[in-house]
Amino acid sequence: MVVNPAIVALAIATLASSLLLAYSAAFGWRLVRTWDLSSGSELQLGLERHTYLISTLVAFVFATEAISLLLFVYNADRIAPLFVGAMCAVGTLNTSPFGFPALLVKVLVFFAASTWLVLHHLDTRGYDYPLTRLKYGLLLAVAPLVVVEAYLQTRFFLALDTDVITSCCGSLFGANREALGSELAGLPPVLAMTLFYGVLGVTLVVGLATRRWPAAGYAYALLSALSFAASLAAIVSFVSLYVYEHPHHHCPFCLLKSEYGYQGYLLYGPLFLATALGIGSGAVRPFARVPSLSDVVPPLARRLTNVSLSMFFFLVVWVCILTARSGLVLLGNEGV
Amino acid sequence: MIELVDVRKAFNQGQHNELWAVRGVTLRLEANCTTVLRGPSGSGKTTLLTLIGCLARPTSGRVRLRGRDVSGMTERFLTGLRRQTFGFVFQQFNLVRGLTVEENVMLPAYPLGVSRPELRRRAHNLLESLDLAPHAQARAEWLSGGQAQRAAIARALVNDPAVILADEPTANLDTDLSHRFLDIVRDLKRKGKTLIMTSHDPLLYQAPEVDRVIGLRDGHLD
Repeated sequence: MVVNPAIVALAIATLASSLLLAYSAAFGWRLVRTWDLSSGSELQLGLERHTYLISTLVAFVFATEAISLLLFVYNADRIAPLFVGAMCAVGTLNTSPFGFPALLVKVLVFFAASTWLVLHHLDTRGYDYPLTRLKYGLLLAVAPLVVVEAYLQTRFFLALDTDVITSCCGSLFGANREALGSELAGLPPVLAMTLFYGVLGVTLVVGLATRRWPAAGYAYALLSALSFAASLAAIVSFVSLYVYEHPHHHCPFCLLKSEYGYQGYLLYGPLFLATALGIGSGAVRPFARVPSLSDVVPPLARRLTNVSLSMFFFLVVWVCILTARSGLVLLGNEGV
Repeated sequence: MIELVDVRKAFNQGQHNELWAVRGVTLRLEANCTTVLRGPSGSGKTTLLTLIGCLARPTSGRVRLRGRDVSGMTERFLTGLRRQTFGFVFQQFNLVRGLTVEENVMLPAYPLGVSRPELRRRAHNLLESLDLAPHAQARAEWLSGGQAQRAAIARALVNDPAVILADEPTANLDTDLSHRFLDIVRDLKRKGKTLIMTSHDPLLYQAPEVDRVIGLRDGHLD
């Protein structure tokens, strides 16, 4: 096992998160079974009081999860030189079979947590605990995911061995391999560009349309998730090539390295934020019919959509800039 | 306007010194009425008053204000509700020493963001209606008992609340000042305010200004 401050911080944060969520989930289970706002029983009033503390704890844990995802990837990149064959985070994550699953679950937890935080924010705006039961039901679904994440991350850290010869990003994101990364890398740039600009273009238009037709917000949430997938495909397929100015270097993780000016953070930060808020904006819309939230949902959904839209817009502009200022001529070479 | 359903309140629950101050009180208080909660010391009247005014939460039972449950509300909503619905006159008046009477009166309105000239106008009008205008710039600690009480009433009224809660308002007043207080009660009633007071002073609960007397003993309704 490799021990460094980031690994210790991640291990402690994940362990603490799991313990707090296990406690919160136990409370959530009791709440989901016994919650009855029409009752004035001691149990009900106790639950109402406790929900404030527990929700604050869970919000703190989920906020930690977002930071944890960032630190996990950053650390995987930083410790790559310790492993033979590793050039970036991919090499580190490849040292054991738990690396990529841990990352994948962390991403899932990020989106589940962000949706929960948006619903929690909305719930606190209603005077009569309008979403409390739903919120804790969702918590019961997310908590096991966090425990799985803690398990995978712990196994990954424990399996880190500097004697292991690992494979670099070229093997995972080479266009001629049989893996998801290779499939994406093998995507023709024109198709990837059409997909990226097309999906994000539609997302931006639908996002703007929500101002006039709020019901379009559901489509916007769906398109946000689709934009996330299209953007990841685009990053692997052509954005990375323009940044590295190399026609065969498809790694989406090397973008995070200092050699490339940490440009990946400017791609992934807005992308994750835009997607999370886009999904969140759709998640709050059904509750506009709840009397205590009817005045709160429309402005909140509008605010979430606006921030999400600006992040997606920034992403498109930033990809255009990266493409325009790159020395690589990708499309012109195809005909030669 | 205010409804209590099987309200119970315990202090130090689960400890050796557990005390049930209110035991299953159910009652309904109508708007624009003057009500006195009467009972001996330790009967639970002050606790009940704090539960009605959202200064404390019941251990069980529900408190509803205009049909909306307030017993489980979070502080985010309770603070605003307390500020805009209730005016409190405490037994010891609780004026802030070192501040002038005018500043004390304006204090509860500061969080509402009312402009200072408007606030001063309001404070001046209230102090004038309670014959305290000449003492507006006097420090709170310089006031006599009756003046301090009237300053406390002015402070309770600065946000124009619908409900005035007063805890033992005549406990520290002599007979003349108690009658003066009843004049103020009559005036507030005329203005459509709902008054809820605790007292074991016959001068107060037998006064014609009082519409309803609710007896309490050992945390129960009499």
